[in-house]
Amino acid sequence: MAAIINAPQSGSAERAERLARAWRLWVTAGPGLVWIVLFLVLPSLVLLAIGFFSIGDYGNPHLPLTLTPIREVAGYSILGWSPANITTIARSLLQAISAAGLTILLAYPVVFFIIAQPAALRPLLLLFVILPSWTNQVVRTYAWMELLGPGSTLSHLAQTLGLLPSHLGLMPGILAMQIGLTYNYLPYMVVPLYAAAEKLDWSLVEAGRDLYASGSRLFWSAVFPQTIPGLLSGIILVAIPAFGDYVVPTLLGGGKSMMIGALIAAQFLQTPNWPYGAALTIFMLIFTGAGLWVFRVMSKRLGSAEGSML
Amino acid sequence: MSSRLAPPIRRALLLSSLPVYVLLYAPLVLIAIFSFAPAPGGQGASLHWYHALLQEPDVLAAFRRSLILALVSSMFGTSLGTLMGFGLSRFRTAKRSGFAAAIPSLIIYTPIIMPSLVFGIADLIFFNLLHKATGLFAAGLLTMGIAHVTFQAPYVALVVFARMSGLDPNLFEASHDLYANGWQSFFHLTVPVIRPAIIGGFLLAFTLSIDDFTISYFTAGPGSTTLPIYIYSAVARKGVAPDINALASLMIATVIGTGLLQYLFSRQKERRPLPRTGD
Repeated sequence: MAAIINAPQSGSAERAERLARAWRLWVTAGPGLVWIVLFLVLPSLVLLAIGFFSIGDYGNPHLPLTLTPIREVAGYSILGWSPANITTIARSLLQAISAAGLTILLAYPVVFFIIAQPAALRPLLLLFVILPSWTNQVVRTYAWMELLGPGSTLSHLAQTLGLLPSHLGLMPGILAMQIGLTYNYLPYMVVPLYAAAEKLDWSLVEAGRDLYASGSRLFWSAVFPQTIPGLLSGIILVAIPAFGDYVVPTLLGGGKSMMIGALIAAQFLQTPNWPYGAALTIFMLIFTGAGLWVFRVMSKRLGSAEGSML
Repeated sequence: MSSRLAPPIRRALLLSSLPVYVLLYAPLVLIAIFSFAPAPGGQGASLHWYHALLQEPDVLAAFRRSLILALVSSMFGTSLGTLMGFGLSRFRTAKRSGFAAAIPSLIIYTPIIMPSLVFGIADLIFFNLLHKATGLFAAGLLTMGIAHVTFQAPYVALVVFARMSGLDPNLFEASHDLYANGWQSFFHLTVPVIRPAIIGGFLLAFTLSIDDFTISYFTAGPGSTTLPIYIYSAVARKGVAPDINALASLMIATVIGTGLLQYLFSRQKERRPLPRTGD
């Protein structure tokens, strides 16, 4: 009987409790969330919208709305079709993917070298991989300008070996850009891979060894599959920022090997053409979003808990 | 675990990872060596370029601006981020799912996922339009600071959130039973308990601000050159230069020194028992 009388009361109490929770959530998390919406989400939407405006006299957006900037990015202009933009986007994609590939090749030995050390030593060895990435990206990239520039020892070596014409340096160019990207983003591959390797279930390896599996067979069947979640995170953490990087292509790439980041920035900093720059940004975000989506689908299929931190 | 790998494999791992460590440090070490280049016309190693640096008012001003920007933005970023991490962990109803419940997480992850170039340009345009409309928000330290807080707050929120989820919820019930109201409980219970996370979040925010180039570059105005922007502009203009080597070496030494200190400090702290659920 008492329970029946109490039931509606506890229902309204529950509602009041829920309202109080919602109010507290807004008082605490609200200011930060509003801040991010105001100063990032809203500006990004404005930027995307500008991609559908006509270009004004000073490169500023103007009415009427049009698809011209989008078509320009695809290569169509009053001069006909040109592959320049497609080449730039393709080059950026290729650079990002190969940077991810190179960091994978460098990261696996390092990660398993660290794992093979006594537990007390591992954090320090990992720290030594991460430390260089705490220096400013401009400084890190500048260091490679010093190493690869026309007068540098490495350039002389390449000239002596006949790999390079005598008046040129290894920088600027595609190779320098690739080295710069790989160097800058290597720790972003090592860290998630290490996290995956640290949790490795070695009993699978032992079972394989008991069955006389060869070393490479053990790696590919018992070790590698267990590191795939870390590998996926690493690819995302390397490829996405490398794709849109601004510092490395402008300092190490030079004019002939333009990447999408530098191309976009030029539309806002040099001869302004905001709608065209915004349209390029839309393409960049589409590729970024597609990459993240593939990552989500794949990690969900693997049942890993990445991306559910909050 | 070390015994699980056969000695030949361990040797191969050592041989293949040593070059990677060398690759990671060689550029930084070489910059430091080049920074001791002789003065023009002189011979042998010298501190000439460090002296030259100290007499460059632009460098000192840029350094001061970097520090002020990082300190002020970290204070705001840490406050907003701490409240976000705390609120989302304490007051978000766990039962509700679907799109509406995911919106706060989506918003918090936006600054982390957004390519910094797009971030910077979006703010460049936004502040530009805002300035034209209102006369406020002229590009400068203020707009840079606002942008910095925007990327600092989510990282701080993640750090605080992680710490909060390791706490026993009964702690908060207890303070409620003792008639503490919301803010009393926040300042007298939550803040002391999550202090390591707040300090860690502040340090992270500070590092993120000092480290940032791209977003700062696009939101900066005429009189707000920070250290990374100074280096970038100088390098883009005149390429490799010995005084930049000296400046870069100082920055490298500071970061690596701080990193090692932080490591030693955090290892001492780890032994302190923390209130946790379940163990």
